[in-house]
Amino acid sequence: MSNPSSKPIQESAAKPPESFQARKAKLRQLFLSQLPGRLADARRVVADWRGLEPDRTELEALRVLFHTLKGSGATFGFQPIADRAQDAEHAVRQVLEDEETTTAGTLRNTLTGILDDLEHLQRTAEGQAAPDPPPAFELAPREPHPERGSDRSQRLIYLCDDDPALAAQLAGQLGCFGYRVQAFTTLTELAEAVTQETPAALILDIVFPEDSNGGPKMLSELTGRGEEDLPCIFISCRDDFQGRLQAVRAGGSAYCTKPIKTVEMLEFLDRLTNPNPPEPINVLVVDDDQELAQFHATVLEEAGMVAKAVSDPEQVLELLDHFDADLVLMDMYMPECSGPELSQILRQIPGHVSLPIIYVSSETNVERQHQAMAAGADGFLTKPIEPAQLVAEVNLRAERMRILHSLMVRDGLTGLFNHNAIMQFLEIAVANARRADAMLCFAMIDVDHFKAVNDTYGHPTGDQVLMALSRTLRLRLREDDMVGRYGGEEFAVVLNGVTLAQAKDIIDDLRNSFAAVTFYADGQEFRCTFSSGVSDFPTFATPDAMTEAADRALYQAKHSGRNRVEIALADPSASAEDDTFSAHRQATDAATTDADQRSHDGE
Amino acid sequence: MKILIVDDDPFAGEMASVILESDGHDCTLVESGLAALELLGDDSDGFEVIISDMNMPLLSGLELFRELRDQGIATPFVLLTGDDPAPLHQQEPRLEACLMKDASLEHRLPSLVEHL
Repeated sequence: MSNPSSKPIQESAAKPPESFQARKAKLRQLFLSQLPGRLADARRVVADWRGLEPDRTELEALRVLFHTLKGSGATFGFQPIADRAQDAEHAVRQVLEDEETTTAGTLRNTLTGILDDLEHLQRTAEGQAAPDPPPAFELAPREPHPERGSDRSQRLIYLCDDDPALAAQLAGQLGCFGYRVQAFTTLTELAEAVTQETPAALILDIVFPEDSNGGPKMLSELTGRGEEDLPCIFISCRDDFQGRLQAVRAGGSAYCTKPIKTVEMLEFLDRLTNPNPPEPINVLVVDDDQELAQFHATVLEEAGMVAKAVSDPEQVLELLDHFDADLVLMDMYMPECSGPELSQILRQIPGHVSLPIIYVSSETNVERQHQAMAAGADGFLTKPIEPAQLVAEVNLRAERMRILHSLMVRDGLTGLFNHNAIMQFLEIAVANARRADAMLCFAMIDVDHFKAVNDTYGHPTGDQVLMALSRTLRLRLREDDMVGRYGGEEFAVVLNGVTLAQAKDIIDDLRNSFAAVTFYADGQEFRCTFSSGVSDFPTFATPDAMTEAADRALYQAKHSGRNRVEIALADPSASAEDDTFSAHRQATDAATTDADQRSHDGE
Repeated sequence: MKILIVDDDPFAGEMASVILESDGHDCTLVESGLAALELLGDDSDGFEVIISDMNMPLLSGLELFRELRDQGIATPFVLLTGDDPAPLHQQEPRLEACLMKDASLEHRLPSLVEHL
């Protein structure tokens, strides 16, 4: 709290996006909507007293709460609220100044009465203060990123759901990933808009108040009008067969059940609206018959895949270090090492547990085929195999494995690698760096005052901040850097082949671009920053040491005022420091929480 | 004008900055007296007015004002309070102004800043 650049909520200066009246109305509304929470807090404190004397800390906290209420209530023109808050403040102050005259019971009765009044006033004010619910799409963040390099940014999506809150939230989140989303709450509006401009894709609810099958009917109607190639994702609470069948019959390309998982939705949208072909599938072909291996590889290459042929099973492991295979096509009978043996070897290496393996063999005995697969393979193709069939089989499996794999290792909200995956990457990276005598850095990133963002603007907005940061990280880092969500508002980045100084520059750049991003919530603009700690190999020689050092540097960054990058220095007395560090970290944690709490609960 | 707003109540602080920004001022909001001191310590910041809440934990608005004057920082200082402003102003006549936090802030704050 002591550094101004660290404050979470920054009014962007000089350029009000809306009229003063509109901004004021939003602030008033926000004040009212958070009032019940504050009153409930006070009520809880008062209720806990029972027969006991309240302690001074509690009384002081209450006094501050009512005082703040009085101040902001008056500022927003809720004079009755301000007046009653003042009464409460006086009552508490009297007890604080002269403990003899008033008992806890009397004070409790007085305060309970006032809290009742305040609650009533809040409801009345809320009824009057919200004459114009904003249209659904006004809540959506407008292009939160300054850079427009994104290939998605021009893609227009129409979203139609009769629930304005859901429509606004989803539109906002997709907006964070660069889609231009327009939300509609009625099918008539949607049909009208499609006539004006054809979007890249539609997101349609199934059930509408006027028709439980309104969405699919609308899509059929649009298709009938000549919008044949309009990709459509249906969203619905219905997860039953009939609902899905109707969606498929109407020509829906995908189906998401509510609550909508944004990452899942993005996967579909990316696929449906992406004009570029996806990354080619990488296949490793292992066959002791070198010519056959090469032949299969050529067939796959001609179908647009990237294939490598190898005839010596011993080379497979080394090859996989450099070649990021989506699938391995393996001969079952090889003299030096059989297919099942090679599969077992691969399955014993953590990084290859989920690598799809398909045997290719002239073996036609189904039982023996099954036995061979038990060693850890995923499929069986019988030689001789037609080129077209080979391509189709490989395509099918690799595609599905890619989707499965991405769901397995990715974080549901941000689409980044999840905690386990990023830690596994760090482990692999450290091993590689040690073997190749290469440089490697590890950065931990933590959003500053994230709790305050959640408290002030609500969790959906907090989620958008996290998504925007992930997107910044993903877009701006190099292909071979790994980015993961370490947990909560913490992110981890593995930077291959860079020095500590370079890593600091890279993260500093990211920090600056992120700090420049303007977010919009409830008509207000705000900005966020992050702090980061960076450690390097070989100063810290193990994945654990690197993580711990980066974490330590991160806390140092937090402690020196946030919105900064600190590098972890080698510490000769590391073990002695450890205890002080953890004690210090605990103390810092406690202090931070207190400060954040206080500043948002009142004066 | 470049204005620093100090208020630990985000609503009140936000509201003050909304009021002043609609008049074209450039507002920076901090949530504590300590943060304000730190910010004003760097000469580069060049704030022309400071508007501070009175009642804040650790360092009150009045203490902030006195600390700044002790440090030789003479930036015009406006104190906002939820209580009666008159006794406060009497207590510290060097304050440019002492205003009651209420709905009329919307009009009084901009005109006050205009005349500083």
